[in-house]
Amino acid sequence: MNIKELAQKIASGEIDAVEHTHQVLEEAKRINKEFNYINTFCEKRALAAAESVKKGKIKGSLSGVPVSIKDSIVVKDVESTAGSAILKGYIPLFNATCVQKAEDEGAIVIGKSSQDEFGFGSFSTNVGVGFKKPLNPIDPTRACGGSSGGAAGLAMKAKFPTLSYGESTGGSIVVPASFCGVYGMCPTYGRVSRYGLIDYGNSLDKVGPLSKYIEDIALGLEVMSGHDPNDSTSVKAPDSDFSSYLKKDVKGMKIGVISEAFGDGTTQDVQDAIWDGVKKLEDLGATYEKVKTPLAIDKGLAVYYILATSEASTNLAKYCGMRYGVQKETNESFNDYFKNIRSPNFGDEAKRRIILGTFARMAGVRDAYYLKAAKVRTLIIEEYKKLFKNYDVLVCPSAPYTAPTFTEIEKLTPLHTYMADLMTVGPNLAGIPHLNVPIGEKGGLPVGMMVLGDHFKEGELIRTGAAFR
Amino acid sequence: MNFTTDIVIGIEIHVELATKTKLFCGCPRVGAPDEKPNTRTCELCLGHPGSKPVLNRKAVEYALRICLATGCEISPELIFSRKSYFYPDMSKNYQISQYEVPLGKNGKISIDSGKDVRINRIHMEEDPASLVHPSGMRESSHVLVDYNRSGNPLCEIVTEPDLTSPDEARDFMKKLSSIITYLDIFDVNSCIIKADANISIKESDYTRVEVKNITGFKEIERALNYEIERQKQEVANGGSIVLETRGWDADKGISFRMRTKESEDDYGYIIDPDLTVTNISKEWIDEVKSTLPELGHEKVTRYIKDHSLKEDDAKVIAAEKELATLFEKVAEEINPILAAKWLRRELVRVMNYNDIGWNDLQIDEIHLTDLLRLVEANKITDKTAQKLMEQLIEEPFDVNVKVEEEGLLAVTDSGEIEKMCKEAVDSNPQAAEESKGGSDKALNFLIGQVMRLSKGKADPKTIKEIIESIIK
Repeated sequence: MNIKELAQKIASGEIDAVEHTHQVLEEAKRINKEFNYINTFCEKRALAAAESVKKGKIKGSLSGVPVSIKDSIVVKDVESTAGSAILKGYIPLFNATCVQKAEDEGAIVIGKSSQDEFGFGSFSTNVGVGFKKPLNPIDPTRACGGSSGGAAGLAMKAKFPTLSYGESTGGSIVVPASFCGVYGMCPTYGRVSRYGLIDYGNSLDKVGPLSKYIEDIALGLEVMSGHDPNDSTSVKAPDSDFSSYLKKDVKGMKIGVISEAFGDGTTQDVQDAIWDGVKKLEDLGATYEKVKTPLAIDKGLAVYYILATSEASTNLAKYCGMRYGVQKETNESFNDYFKNIRSPNFGDEAKRRIILGTFARMAGVRDAYYLKAAKVRTLIIEEYKKLFKNYDVLVCPSAPYTAPTFTEIEKLTPLHTYMADLMTVGPNLAGIPHLNVPIGEKGGLPVGMMVLGDHFKEGELIRTGAAFR
Repeated sequence: MNFTTDIVIGIEIHVELATKTKLFCGCPRVGAPDEKPNTRTCELCLGHPGSKPVLNRKAVEYALRICLATGCEISPELIFSRKSYFYPDMSKNYQISQYEVPLGKNGKISIDSGKDVRINRIHMEEDPASLVHPSGMRESSHVLVDYNRSGNPLCEIVTEPDLTSPDEARDFMKKLSSIITYLDIFDVNSCIIKADANISIKESDYTRVEVKNITGFKEIERALNYEIERQKQEVANGGSIVLETRGWDADKGISFRMRTKESEDDYGYIIDPDLTVTNISKEWIDEVKSTLPELGHEKVTRYIKDHSLKEDDAKVIAAEKELATLFEKVAEEINPILAAKWLRRELVRVMNYNDIGWNDLQIDEIHLTDLLRLVEANKITDKTAQKLMEQLIEEPFDVNVKVEEEGLLAVTDSGEIEKMCKEAVDSNPQAAEESKGGSDKALNFLIGQVMRLSKGKADPKTIKEIIESIIK
């Protein structure tokens, strides 16, 4: 059952919203004992919302639909930490716009999903100090992918219909969606409000939906989208009837297959699965050609890590134990106090990215790194834009391999870890929408195909994804 | 740079813009007089995770007015940057400011000496919180932080090192004050104005010392005088001046070392990715331009040309917006030269004497016009007018009614005056004798007597003529 069907049954009274929410919470908690998808449950709040839905106080397209919200998206009155110990105890005073929109449509927020600390990772293994790593729903010895690991894991594992709210800066929606075998849509930058999103890299951060069903992605995106006066980068975008694309077939679509994504770094299994997917689209009436995105592939990672960490290092400066989050008694000078709060409460990867980002924007190197990266980013956008003149969508693997085991991940150097984002940093830098489509499995593990579209062409991605229902 | 003067001064002035709301959120810029600390705040002014800034366009308009009034080149794009440093008054540990491309650059402000002080740049930024030192700025064991001010809109005006004395700096600040008051973007009651000054002297080979946090228009001269003297003495005593940042302690009237600068501060600027680039279109600039009021120096020219005021009178009146506004209203009805004289001298004198500011002034142009119309027509004497002015400032009244009721009209009947003059001469024969002998003192005494008899209502000039004719 998808979320639309659930909402209809709840609206008609066929399913009792409160009872259902009870069951959902029980199941989610049971799953969580083993898999750690939720950092904080908000049971009372969820039941109160269900009560409102039941009484008919709130009616909408998500009536009674349980949703999980990535921990980096703030929910009023519910501890929101972005997976970091430094924000332990932080209770937001307001709802993120996307959360408010969901609740206005009758959605039931059940909890905050686990993630790499502040989104700093590709496997959800860089969780904050004291946080538990989410485990892959298909094989618990493997990672969920990151950073929206809890979101993808719960979307796959839950038997109840549910929508997961994820967030992507450099691939944090499609990578975990790929490893867990669900759909995950990272929309065009500006399509969904960032108001209430705990920033990683503000010029890159996007909120998007994850679910087992493409129908849920379409509906979820419809609910999330829209201009928000509280977010200056939010856009008044045309075309928001994404569900209408579910009915369109792929006949006549022109697809570009990004050929660099089929190199040595990508396992044969993944390459084969993607080609099978491309062939299927061809069978359904689409045509394809091989295309290249050399700049995105060669320079994308460098540009991404410079820009994302430059922004992140300024975003994380505010966490110093002074106004919210962890605090302690002190007789120290503010400098020592800040240091003594930040040192034990940021994880290693957070510290690494603060150092990287602070370096990249230092006087003397700023021109060579930060400013140059910003220029190359513009060129990468142009590279994609040119291709979209000739192709409706581009496709490639979402990740170069299937979900790795935790032991395999431990052996990776930071640079190798960053390589996991090779496919995804390009579209994230360009702010173009991209969708993970679970197209099959290899060795019992899901393989995801990433479909990339031009700015605000999420509809084309849904059209493509619907072919694999 | 090659300096030649004994003293080199450049200043950066932070002017708070008198908007209703803060620069990036909807919180009011000013609170109630009895507001509690940290109550005029929202998630944004407190730097809460997930909060996002949204630009207040009114603040941009205000900053544009300053840029236009000082002849700056205006950037076609408004771009904000993050200036990173850790300090407890910074809610995000970065300040949203402008870096590479300021809103305005290459402007100037002319000062009295005729010199043009060049403006290097004008940019916008947010105010940090205020730090409260419970037992004195340097003695306190802790500080309290109040974020009520956090996020208020500031415009920073940076001069070139063109000033060569505290005098010039004071004059520059006066001119700037006049400009921002005319522009209606600064409210003296609610807006903060702060300056940081870079000062160097020839004796130290122009080693630059920065003195921060000089608050208010008047404090700048005092701080500069102190700092120059300090540097001179330091050098005279065999010491040396080091590149450093000092703070200004207004209570004690001294500057104190905050930190030495081994190198320039590195603020790790990046473009603020939460804010989009704001286009400053030609249309927008033209629109702002069309709303610009006439500025002080333009008024001076006009007063001289149209009203034949003396330059000095014109300058004094135009320097203060309130005075100029009042003058222009009164001058519609009254001879402008007379109006200028009375406003500039008498009104200002009485206000100063009673320690009354423009905001406390209860009388308006109607009171003044009524009063000066009587002076103009010689219906009351200057003395009566002065007295009425004093009373008006204390408590306003209808001038014509009062003059009527209290019979203050000048005695113009020469027979009446002659009678009083005779009486004075007769009762003071010695003085009359001495006056005849040419004593001005004695003559003035006699005039005074007549004035007393007429209760100040007779014109002293007429009295003098009559007395002289009697004693001749």
